[in-house]
Amino acid sequence: MDRETNRPKKLGFRPSKAPNPSPSSSSPVRLRPREETKRDSTSSIHERRNPVLDEDEETGSPIFSYLVGTCPDMCPAKERQQRERLRDLSVFERLHGDPSRTSSKLAVKKFCRTMSNAELQEVEIRPLPVLRSTLKYLMNLVDTSDQPFEVVHDFVFDRTRSIRQDLTRQNILDDEAICMYEEMVKFHIESHKKLAMCYTKTDLASLCYLNTEQLMKCLATLFKLFDIHRRSSSLYKNEAEFYSFYVLLHLGGKIPQMGSSLSLWYRKLTLSILQSNEMRFSMTLIRYSQLGNFKRFFTRLEAEASDLQLCLVEPFLSEIRARAISYVNHSGYKLQPYPLKHLSDVLRIKESELEELCHVCGLETTMDEAGMKTLPVKQTSFSLPKLGLPVHSLSTF
Amino acid sequence: MAYLSMGEAHRRITDYLSRFCDAVSSQDAATLSALLAISSNFASLQAPADALNVFQDSNQLVNQVERYAQFAEILSPLLRCLQSYRLGRYSDAYVAFEKAANAFLQEFRNWETAWAMEAVYILALEIRLLAEKADRELSSSGKNTEKLQGAGSFLMKIFGALAGKGPKRVGALYVACQLFKVYFKLGTVHLCRSVIRSIETARLFDLDEFPVKDKVTYMYYTGRLEVYNENFTVADQKLTYALMHCSPNKEANKRMILKYLIPVKLSIGILPKQWLLEKYNLMEYNEVVKALKTGDLRLLRQALREHEDRFLRSGVYLVLEKLELQVYQRLMKKIYVLQKQKDPSKAHQLKIETAVKALNWLGMDMDMDEAECIMAILIFKNLTKGYISHKNKVVVLSKQDPFPKLNGKPVSS
Repeated sequence: MDRETNRPKKLGFRPSKAPNPSPSSSSPVRLRPREETKRDSTSSIHERRNPVLDEDEETGSPIFSYLVGTCPDMCPAKERQQRERLRDLSVFERLHGDPSRTSSKLAVKKFCRTMSNAELQEVEIRPLPVLRSTLKYLMNLVDTSDQPFEVVHDFVFDRTRSIRQDLTRQNILDDEAICMYEEMVKFHIESHKKLAMCYTKTDLASLCYLNTEQLMKCLATLFKLFDIHRRSSSLYKNEAEFYSFYVLLHLGGKIPQMGSSLSLWYRKLTLSILQSNEMRFSMTLIRYSQLGNFKRFFTRLEAEASDLQLCLVEPFLSEIRARAISYVNHSGYKLQPYPLKHLSDVLRIKESELEELCHVCGLETTMDEAGMKTLPVKQTSFSLPKLGLPVHSLSTF
Repeated sequence: MAYLSMGEAHRRITDYLSRFCDAVSSQDAATLSALLAISSNFASLQAPADALNVFQDSNQLVNQVERYAQFAEILSPLLRCLQSYRLGRYSDAYVAFEKAANAFLQEFRNWETAWAMEAVYILALEIRLLAEKADRELSSSGKNTEKLQGAGSFLMKIFGALAGKGPKRVGALYVACQLFKVYFKLGTVHLCRSVIRSIETARLFDLDEFPVKDKVTYMYYTGRLEVYNENFTVADQKLTYALMHCSPNKEANKRMILKYLIPVKLSIGILPKQWLLEKYNLMEYNEVVKALKTGDLRLLRQALREHEDRFLRSGVYLVLEKLELQVYQRLMKKIYVLQKQKDPSKAHQLKIETAVKALNWLGMDMDMDEAECIMAILIFKNLTKGYISHKNKVVVLSKQDPFPKLNGKPVSS
């Protein structure tokens, strides 16, 4: 995490402390759908709907029965052997760097779209305790690996997707699942920022898009889990913050569409969520951004954003700042170039970075008699570059 | 319940079955519809329903008599449905109805003419109503609610049976509207898109051939979707159509339409009269309208806070929030007009400080930077004509029409 900023660390994210399952139980508490009674012969087991699975395409085919995994390692033995043969091992999985050798401590099960439940065996599915430790291993890798971030991200992106696949195949919907989804959301949010900082990469746009897509999928499933648990009247600590992430995503111009507009999404939320501080904060930020009230946008962002919220929003700031620049350029007085120092204060950006941003958007900057940098207004060359904008963090003053 | 003899029970059931078969053979859609309208609770349905609880072996009855047996796939589950519904077992009633409806649809497909269309309408309506009841029952006992989703799938089947070149397609819009109701209730509104595409772009349908009543409902739902997507011009067209063609005595429907049309009109600068809000009991918009008229930002914010829950539920909250810009415009215009009265030669110079003072006086906490921001947006969006001299902290307004009206067009984006 970026420690340069001096903001108060409010609402900092820590995984919610879910109640530990009792040590004696080896199988987790699961919410199974109601067993159909014999009288109801018309709907067979095939028609049982899983509220979590229906819109999640991870499994590729409808669940016919819920498996109980028995795989003891992060990667099933069969897959390990197969990938060793095919030399299909990620750099993190190679034993002593050998592309054809791995071990149970290094190999992590890959995401595989094509398999239906009917083809799988229980020994290829990892039970909850193994999934938990696998996730921990992957998160640790993110923190400690010295491989370039894109490489780490690519690996963890895929392997966490596989974890989610195993979770849904076993219909694990309890506290543990919520914990794990929260961790994965956190990973995608932090990646969102780190990827955006790699400004010069050519396939950056698609990397970011894919990451955001997975982020939204994780959030969607997480919300369904929250919903299920709300019926049993237990609320989760960070729930409101996670809902706020979904709102804040709408600050970005080119996010994957999740099917319905924000207006429709709000309709489904409970009042307690809508009135939470985190939701109010994010809804207000959207309002300021859409209105174009940059002054309030940046002061509010600086004052109230949690670490993760800021992580999520920072890659979007350039576009917002570019808009502000275009408004200034459009509405200013021809004979009076606009002082960059002042604009950089309002937009919470370093003056040099603001200058860069102006140039990237096709605008010239000049210097006045006192040696201060200025932006001549009414320039007609403003345009948003196709390859995207450089990302600058929030500078505090 | 009065004592029902076995003989009487038998008579009632065979009566129902006969009426069904007679209706089919004489192509009497009206009678057929009445027999399928389970949730209407007509006395004519309650009678056989009670009988079914006495005479337990209705299946055999259906299969034994030749003329009933040919419709066994429809009639047996239909009787089960009647019975379950009467006993208040809605989930069971739904499941049975879905079976009967499926079988009926099969028969309908085979009939060449559209004589039974009215019955199909009933089918479409009932499947939704029964599903809603069933889900309520399931929800209250803590179980998964999935019946409405199933109803949606079945409605798509009906839609498929109607979408074609024959005379049956006149019913497609009605079914589409039932689908909209289902999707809106389920919150899966994005699924409406494929239905709309089939109706509007598949070129199978000419909207003029549908009954006006169905068109009104269709325009209402598609108009609402346009509101959510903030396509105000199209939303205006659709919702206005719905309002104009709505039956004069359907006050409740008009209110529903207005609930969405008003925010749309506000967004394009058209304000409703007070009497309209009063007549249709839409006073939640009253303060919003007042704020737009007077440029009172505080009033707008207050109105949004006060009715926040209601506006969020109906989905117009974000639309109303955006009206803030027009309120700012109104305020600036007021200041300009006042200045003009005091000193016409200097009126076109609006000190930013003045705007700040006005807003502070209204109870809004604002500084010079923010005011300048707002002025910049107003100019950018063409709500104000002029430019800002940041150095002199003044907005120089155009001498001609510095605050152009929206005139039926949404604020430029």
